Amino acid sequence: MSTTAQGTATTARSRPTAAVMLVGAAVAALAAGATLPWLLPTKIAMSLLAQAIFDALLATSVGFLILQNGRVSFGQAAFFGLGGYSIGVLVARNWVAPELAIIIALVLPTMVAFLLGLVIARITGVAHAMLTLAVGQAFYEVVFRWRELAKGDDGMSFELPRELFGLPASRLQDPVVMMVLAWSILVLVLLALALFARSRIGQIAAAIRDNEERARFLGYSTMLPRALVYAIAAFIAAIAGVLSACYNGYIAPQMFHWSASGFALIMAIIGGAKFVIGPAVGAILLFYIKDYAGQFAEYWPAIVGVILVVVTLTMPRGVVGLVATVWTKRV
Amino acid sequence: MFIQVLNGIVYGGLLYLLAVGLVLIFGLREVVNFAHGSLFMVGAYLGFTIASMGYWWGGLLVSVVGMGMVGCTLDALIFRTLRKQDHMITVLVTFGLLLILETAVTAIWGKAYLTYPVPRLLDGTIGIADTPFPIYRLFVIGVSVAVAVSLSVWLRYTRTGLYIRAASTDARVTAMQGINVDRLSLIVVGLGTALAGVSGVVAGPLLSLSPTMGNYILIDSFIVVVIGGLGSFAGAFVAALLIGQIHNFGAVYLPWASTVLPFLLMVAILIWRPTGFAGSRT
Repeated sequence: MSTTAQGTATTARSRPTAAVMLVGAAVAALAAGATLPWLLPTKIAMSLLAQAIFDALLATSVGFLILQNGRVSFGQAAFFGLGGYSIGVLVARNWVAPELAIIIALVLPTMVAFLLGLVIARITGVAHAMLTLAVGQAFYEVVFRWRELAKGDDGMSFELPRELFGLPASRLQDPVVMMVLAWSILVLVLLALALFARSRIGQIAAAIRDNEERARFLGYSTMLPRALVYAIAAFIAAIAGVLSACYNGYIAPQMFHWSASGFALIMAIIGGAKFVIGPAVGAILLFYIKDYAGQFAEYWPAIVGVILVVVTLTMPRGVVGLVATVWTKRV
Repeated sequence: MFIQVLNGIVYGGLLYLLAVGLVLIFGLREVVNFAHGSLFMVGAYLGFTIASMGYWWGGLLVSVVGMGMVGCTLDALIFRTLRKQDHMITVLVTFGLLLILETAVTAIWGKAYLTYPVPRLLDGTIGIADTPFPIYRLFVIGVSVAVAVSLSVWLRYTRTGLYIRAASTDARVTAMQGINVDRLSLIVVGLGTALAGVSGVVAGPLLSLSPTMGNYILIDSFIVVVIGGLGSFAGAFVAALLIGQIHNFGAVYLPWASTVLPFLLMVAILIWRPTGFAGSRT
């Protein structure tokens, strides 16, 4: 998906206050998150929001790849699954200290994505979509078949350790705690991505996205920034995988499946992949529509399909894009 | 051993029927049709409905004609409307179609696995190298070879075929020469989808019918298209045979790795040649 540099990104240098405003907005969002436990009526509502945020993180990961690299991935769930499986398998087998397991579960997918990024960043367009799909499915097939790793197809439940960083780990499965934690992480991730887009390396990545040859002529290495973007995107997906695995105490091959990648991509597109915040908005919207449409659950994929077709045809910049257009017209 | 090779050719033939449809559509519209696997599945269910009434060949006919019409509609309504947009948008729309078709088929025929009958004419086995081999599998090979031969003759020796080859190389320049690319595309997308219908019906008795039957084979045919080189007919043919053999020998000799082998091959080939065996575009 080719994107052009957003106006906000190009004027970043002349207006340092924009960064301050971003940080301010993030602080406000964090404060709002802290009040959520009093705003939501039930534990079920909190649990729903927590799970919606896991989706939002994965969608943000896919969207970031589109935003900064101009590459559409159909296999981002691979890193979601890799994060979840790393923590699940390491904790269940008690191989390393649980704190170290979390670090491994975040670093391993990032490293894998960086190395893969060096290779697949050369492939563009439709071939890239098919290649990422194939890579993601290869991971799925491995965990599906490898019964000794985590019971293959059945998936595996695991017990959280007693303590994590000196705090009782069972709190992670409390909806209140997980909701606030996931919300805070999402806000921090979005802030970091928005700041990245304004940073020097982020601007170089955007320049490469818009015209790789030109960036190379200007003397920039194009491989490393691209691979870095893959790594960051995978890191975000891995966070979502770790949170989801810890919260549910369960891992299954479906975490890797291409339908998970596809849905994440759909959420990103519906929300608006040309905005840092768009994918997260799309994910949370879609999650609540799904919950609302509970009685039609068996037709859910078709509903998503229709929403996707309608959104791509009528609002190519997604929901956030539509809101932004309406907003700028009014002001 | 020889039987193994034959079985590999059977699966390769099915993959070819799907992959060549993808290549045809990609050539003109530069879009990879993610709904192709679901169209294959819908074709199988259509054929099944007629075949279970006792008209196996009628099922094949209905499926081919019906899917051809679906393909023409798809081209006229979606591919033509979106041709000026980013191609990735169209790809996403076909992904949405995949979800819609799968749900629709689940709603109509249910999730349960269904068994597609074998036509009476082709029931039974024949001895090959002292081993009984189902006649039906030979029929599958026959269909794929017949499609491959007639398609290459059509593309090579007719005027329409010439136009299609030209448009697959460069649709814009072809249009400048006064050729109606939209009408060509209608034919090509219709034909590609009809071939998905053929392979759906032909694969029916080999695989069991389920709303997700198209997904696995779609990914395999993606691998075929990418390995063969996007937009290359000959490349797709060779790659389909190759993946068919790998699929089959992998299942026999390396069962733990069999499903991953095609993926690894695809990654390796793309690293070595980013455009695939015979392709020149990305």
